[in-house]
Amino acid sequence: MKYALAVHGAPYASEAAAHALFFADALLAGGHSIERVFFFHDGVYQGLGAQVPPQDSFNVDTVKRWQHLAAQGVELGICIASGIKRGVVNEAEQTRYELQHPTLAPGFELVGLGQLIAAINNADRYVEFPA
Amino acid sequence: MKRYLFIISRSPYGSSHALEQLEAAMVAAVFDAKVAVLFRDEGAWCIQQHQAGAAIGQKTMTNVLAALPAYDVEELYVCADFLNTYQIQTEPTLSVMPIRLPEQQALISACDVVITAQP
Repeated sequence: MKYALAVHGAPYASEAAAHALFFADALLAGGHSIERVFFFHDGVYQGLGAQVPPQDSFNVDTVKRWQHLAAQGVELGICIASGIKRGVVNEAEQTRYELQHPTLAPGFELVGLGQLIAAINNADRYVEFPA
Repeated sequence: MKRYLFIISRSPYGSSHALEQLEAAMVAAVFDAKVAVLFRDEGAWCIQQHQAGAAIGQKTMTNVLAALPAYDVEELYVCADFLNTYQIQTEPTLSVMPIRLPEQQALISACDVVITAQP
């Protein structure tokens, strides 16, 4: 089956990422496909490139785990409206808003909310991981 | 086309939850989806009359809600129990239907996609 996933929780503040990552791994292992992972609300912080994971954290380096997922062909879409107001910007947005640095981690991309709806419309199942 | 239900369960200005849920609802409607919005828990405060978002530098929630029909989002529901619990006075220019729990369950069952953004 084709799945669309949405992540609404910030890193290390909620279990959203951990649950979504385990679920995504299980989906791929089970022969399913993932249409897109969409990061919305505070979930956009998942794509912040300057995270230093706590040394004693159980969920070691979620950014690396997301990127591992991206390397398997899963698209990681950050809601651009939710993202830029929270400081998650790529080079294009950094230039547009004259900010000092881009902050988006490699493997993620800024996309419109329409990409959430398109993913859900194309998928058989939509599963969201709240904050 | 899929039928969407967006559930708004947090107060209008306490977080960005309500506004971001509505943004997503409007985008879904632009994609020709059939979209309904249900206000429950503290989200019921979104429809309270006499709001003045400008006082805290924010958009007035009831004005955002008034724009929904222009996006073809015309199905608005509110939990009747929370309306009563919080003694909410609904903004009179909005068309929001109060529904009780069994009707909310039926609504959720009838929709293909439910977006809550809430644990």
